[in-house]
Amino acid sequence: MASVHESLYFNPMMTNGVVHANIFGIKDWVTPYKIAVLALLHEMSTTKPMALLDRRRLNKLILPLQQGPDLTLEQFLKIVEECCLRMVNAVKHRLFLMADGELQDMEHFFTILPNAFSDSEAFKTSVVGLFMRQMLLAYNKLSFSQVYKLYKSLQQYCHRVQPELSALPTEDMELTSNEDPSAEHIDKDELDTASLHQSELRSDESQGPLSQKQAEYFLARQAYLLKNDENKAMSPAKLQDELNNILKFNPDFAEAHYLSYLNSIRVQDIYISTHSLLHYFDRLILSGGEGKSNGDEGYGRSLRYAVLNLATLHCRFGHYQQADLALQEAIRIAQEANDHVCLQHCLSWLYTLEQMKGSDSVVLTEDSVKIAAHFCLPYLASLGIQSLVQQGAKQGMPANKLLDALRGTDIMHWKQSLSELIEISLAQTTSIWRMYGKSTMARQQAQLLLNMNSLEPVNFSVQQNNTEAFAVALCHLAELHAEQGLYAVVSDIMKHLKQQFPPHTQHAKLWMLCDLKIQFEKAMNDGKYHLAEPHVTAISALNSTEGLYRKAQLLKALNQTTEASQILQQLQQQCEKSKDIEMTIRVMLASAELHWDSSGFATALPLLLQALALSRQHNLQSLTSETLLHLAFTQLMLGIPEQALVLVQDVLESVLAHGSLIDKGRALLLAARCQMALAGAAVQEHRLTALEQAVHTLDEAAVYFSQLDCKERMRDIHYLQARLHHTLGNISQRNKCSMLFRLLDQELPSSGMTVVSHL
Amino acid sequence: HVTSYSCVPLLRSGDVGMTSEFGDLVQIKKQLISITAQCKERGLVHSVKWASELAFSLDPLPLNEIPPAPELTEEDARDLDALCLAKSYFDLKEYDRAAYFLRGCRSQKAYFLYMYSRYLSGEKKKDDETVDSLGPLEKGQVRNEALRELRVELSKKHSAGELDGFALYLYGVVLRKLDLLKEAVEIFVAATHALPLHWGSWLELCNLITNIEMLKSLSLPECWVRDFFMAHMFTELQMIKEALQKYQSLMEAGFAKSTYIISQIAVAYHNIRDIDQALYLFNELREQDPFRIENMDTFSNLLYVRSMKPELSYLAHNLVEIDKYRVETCCVIGNYYSLRSQHEKAALYFQRALKLNPRCLGAWTLMGHEYMEMKNTSAAIQAYRHAIEVNKRDYRAWYGLGQTYEILKMPFYSLYYYRKAHQLRPNDSRMLVALGECYEKLSQQVEAKKCYWRAYSVGDVERMALLKLAKLHEQLNEFDDAAQCYIIYIQDIFSCGEQLEHAEVSTALRYLGQYYFKNKLYDEASLCAQRCCDYNDAREEGKALLRQISAVREQGEPSSTDLSVPCVFNPLSNNTTPVRRVSPLDLSSVTP
Repeated sequence: MASVHESLYFNPMMTNGVVHANIFGIKDWVTPYKIAVLALLHEMSTTKPMALLDRRRLNKLILPLQQGPDLTLEQFLKIVEECCLRMVNAVKHRLFLMADGELQDMEHFFTILPNAFSDSEAFKTSVVGLFMRQMLLAYNKLSFSQVYKLYKSLQQYCHRVQPELSALPTEDMELTSNEDPSAEHIDKDELDTASLHQSELRSDESQGPLSQKQAEYFLARQAYLLKNDENKAMSPAKLQDELNNILKFNPDFAEAHYLSYLNSIRVQDIYISTHSLLHYFDRLILSGGEGKSNGDEGYGRSLRYAVLNLATLHCRFGHYQQADLALQEAIRIAQEANDHVCLQHCLSWLYTLEQMKGSDSVVLTEDSVKIAAHFCLPYLASLGIQSLVQQGAKQGMPANKLLDALRGTDIMHWKQSLSELIEISLAQTTSIWRMYGKSTMARQQAQLLLNMNSLEPVNFSVQQNNTEAFAVALCHLAELHAEQGLYAVVSDIMKHLKQQFPPHTQHAKLWMLCDLKIQFEKAMNDGKYHLAEPHVTAISALNSTEGLYRKAQLLKALNQTTEASQILQQLQQQCEKSKDIEMTIRVMLASAELHWDSSGFATALPLLLQALALSRQHNLQSLTSETLLHLAFTQLMLGIPEQALVLVQDVLESVLAHGSLIDKGRALLLAARCQMALAGAAVQEHRLTALEQAVHTLDEAAVYFSQLDCKERMRDIHYLQARLHHTLGNISQRNKCSMLFRLLDQELPSSGMTVVSHL
Repeated sequence: HVTSYSCVPLLRSGDVGMTSEFGDLVQIKKQLISITAQCKERGLVHSVKWASELAFSLDPLPLNEIPPAPELTEEDARDLDALCLAKSYFDLKEYDRAAYFLRGCRSQKAYFLYMYSRYLSGEKKKDDETVDSLGPLEKGQVRNEALRELRVELSKKHSAGELDGFALYLYGVVLRKLDLLKEAVEIFVAATHALPLHWGSWLELCNLITNIEMLKSLSLPECWVRDFFMAHMFTELQMIKEALQKYQSLMEAGFAKSTYIISQIAVAYHNIRDIDQALYLFNELREQDPFRIENMDTFSNLLYVRSMKPELSYLAHNLVEIDKYRVETCCVIGNYYSLRSQHEKAALYFQRALKLNPRCLGAWTLMGHEYMEMKNTSAAIQAYRHAIEVNKRDYRAWYGLGQTYEILKMPFYSLYYYRKAHQLRPNDSRMLVALGECYEKLSQQVEAKKCYWRAYSVGDVERMALLKLAKLHEQLNEFDDAAQCYIIYIQDIFSCGEQLEHAEVSTALRYLGQYYFKNKLYDEASLCAQRCCDYNDAREEGKALLRQISAVREQGEPSSTDLSVPCVFNPLSNNTTPVRRVSPLDLSSVTP
């Protein structure tokens, strides 16, 4: 029974069991819409005197009209109307002349069409000329019945708008006219379902088939947008619908499968993405085999890259074992085929995979760079160098070497216009400077990246700005601004990041972590520990080490020293394993602070000295000054304020230049306390000046703290100031300070020993 | 709506077909005769064929039992001439003309024929147009223009409750063609309720049901046709055991002579690869119905699997004589050439089959196999992909793709395809063994072991899974497990009786002999060694082992105390002895 309803058609495009979609090389065919465009072109070339502005607008219109999907007549006329009112009437007139007349009128149009172009500015090889000639060719190839069919559809096309211009553009007249009288009889829900199907059908109708040209253009555009600015591309669901539509009309259109793969990666759908990827390569393998002159090469090549792509897919979804297996397979096939370029790609993925798995891959990377350089693959070579620099920076390679390496590759990037790598390089420099604690340099590099004009051609008025490099630079900027207490700016940057990298995208984790860190810091500075707590959990989800560190900090602040020290010990072990120097030093500092809490100042000293040695060795300036401040504080507490003051004064310069607001304030506060301690020991006449100096230093510190709105510190400062003024005998000043202190003290939960025991 | 259709002519004539038992074959026969007449009047040729085939298998009725033609209503009488004329045009495939003369008719019969002509006219035009569509991308866009109008009109009538069983069927077909599958299922169910004897509705329903849950959720009419439907459905859903049971009970109920049932059972046996049974049934079928072309491609597949060249050649020549432009004939010829290793010609014939019907699933897959034989992997991939496009559930095509990539030495890549195939046939050992082999190539021994074991547990067709599992265990130095597998393997091979080609029994025996010897179970070891001597390739080793055993026995050391002897002959047993010797030495060296 079923076979009656199956179409028993003979497919003329099938040879050798393979359906060739394009046996005649036809990429485009005549549709009523194309006739409308042709009519427009015709009118444009025949009406000679035309306002320059109108002409310019129309000329700009031609390309999108030619490449875009078929529009309804109404949409088409509306677009043209916006450019030139007079033209609309001419085009409309010509179209309706054809539609209302006879078939002969359409034939006539196609005969006079070339005449109009023969002596106009549209050259035969121009876009317009090619389009026109293609259309003529396609028209001339039509058989008798096809010409008639075309004419019928032209009539339908024109008359669909005519009776009621305000009607929905894609309204199907037959269907509605049939449906309307029956509407009274059909009960409510029946009607609903009926109209639902209609809309389904209609949406199906409106999308229509794209010609191969149009489909190619569509794919190219969407792929470009996906790569460069995802927000401007179609929404995933809609894009998938379009792709399914294209594939329904031409299942052999392999590129559509690839776009479907990209699209489903976007929504993290492993199932469809794997399916599409494999389907794409299955199809590609065929088209590769088609070109016999290419021999086996094209075919085998796509096989290798198929596996490699599968590996990257698994990598992307974090299936490291699967990725590893796929990669090994790719390497094996590439080796058998002696394809060094593919091998090189595999190698670079191999070290990336190793890195993602968290194991050491320096040797692999070095090999990769060497071989890439040997085979003249600049992209892969400098990608490898950048990866090496990153690893080197983490493991404490000397700064000059790192920056030299980056500069060396930069020269090559500019020579070869590898804009993607330039961006990465800038972002990396930003990160490195930031790590070394040179905030000005970091800020400058980040700005350089953000203000740079991309070297890539700008297509579809979209410039690429969604790479990881941009995300990294923006995150650094946000953190730098947060350090200076400019939270309004930070929230602006965050807003931009959220917009540019929506939460489901690949690089969204970067800004999420950054945002959380900033909020955590802010809550800690404000003393709102209950606000900081949820952030810790969120941070742990994104980065477990960082989460642990923050948790320790929070526990320390909440005076749960035992738990904090346990976590810190655990962290220390982790860091030693992963050789994360920055975190190691931070952990040491935090442990030292814990010793302070139990008044073990002497026991903190070796830890701090170790930290100092480490941070100096790795040129981590901000951490060095931080450690020095810690050391100074310890010395102060151990009763050697002279030494402490010398230390503080040593680092004060760099802290004021590069440090964050809170660091600046803390350094000055510490300096003031040293001065006070010294003043206590000094002789009477020196004592007053020393005390006044201390008051002055405290004032400076107060400025920084008040900028941050750091109330706890402000309370300490007011307390100290009141004491100083009391000693100096400035009663009014003293009273003022003590009043401020009292106000803050009432506001904050009291913790008796704060002034003494922290930096 | 269902109740409103209960007044169809069939039920009015007294043959209420509500008995699920087949007690009254006479009644069934009457029903069949009457439905045949009705379908004939409406041009539903395939349903006519099915019903009359079934009727033919039952005993003929005496004259007074033959049901009278249903009475004509007033409307029928008025439309009689127009209907007659239109039917003649319809039979001549002049559908538009038929529809034109039926446009004013009021009777149900005329209305159905009117709509059906319009539908078929649309289909015909669509097929004609596909050949000269405007452009390549448009080829999928060519559609039956009449469908939408038909749907609107039919839905109007449907909501008014004016459709009879045939019209409902047509409505369902229209919906299915418009890809409104959910609605189509509803309508087909309604159609089966209205007119349970119309096989076409059941068949359409069958094409729309994708899984057993969906089948269970439908409320189907209680009628004997339902059993035929269920049996067919089980076959489609690969639930062969259930299908066979159903068909068996149908045979016992009195349809034993039906060629339809015989062919269905044969196909079912083919699906579970019970080749002998299937071959037997097909031979019987050909005896009863020598000019049958349907299902002969399946028959040829069986002959191919058994490499029965003369039979296949006879079948092919016979079919060519009957009708050489049938898809089935082309497939049979393709198989014939393939068996003769003339793969180019085979591919050519499969292509011809596809030209006759591009949606012929089997041909795409078979063509893929041919290209594989010709080492044209890219064309093979293309063919398999086409097969999948036609039917996503074609496990053979997925399996073929997996094989292709495995041949291209991409085991990881082929895993995906094998997994797909396995998903579709979870209880087919071939996919599992293929999966296991891939895992083994990727050195994922744990997964490989699981696959092989599972393959064995679901009933290993090729009897290779255990052997592979044993070898894997051997590689991993899991001697006990390996021995266990070999034992089951040998038991399996001997219990199944027939002599299999691959002489891997000797491997198993050899290993077991050594294993027993190592564990000092000399009786068992000598037994194995003796059996080894039956096989050419293991004879020498068997004899050597026997000598070894007798040597050990001569030394008079029956069991585990012996430590010194084996190391000369058997490298495997070295594992145990040295350790025991060394450890006391070590201790003594430490103590002083």
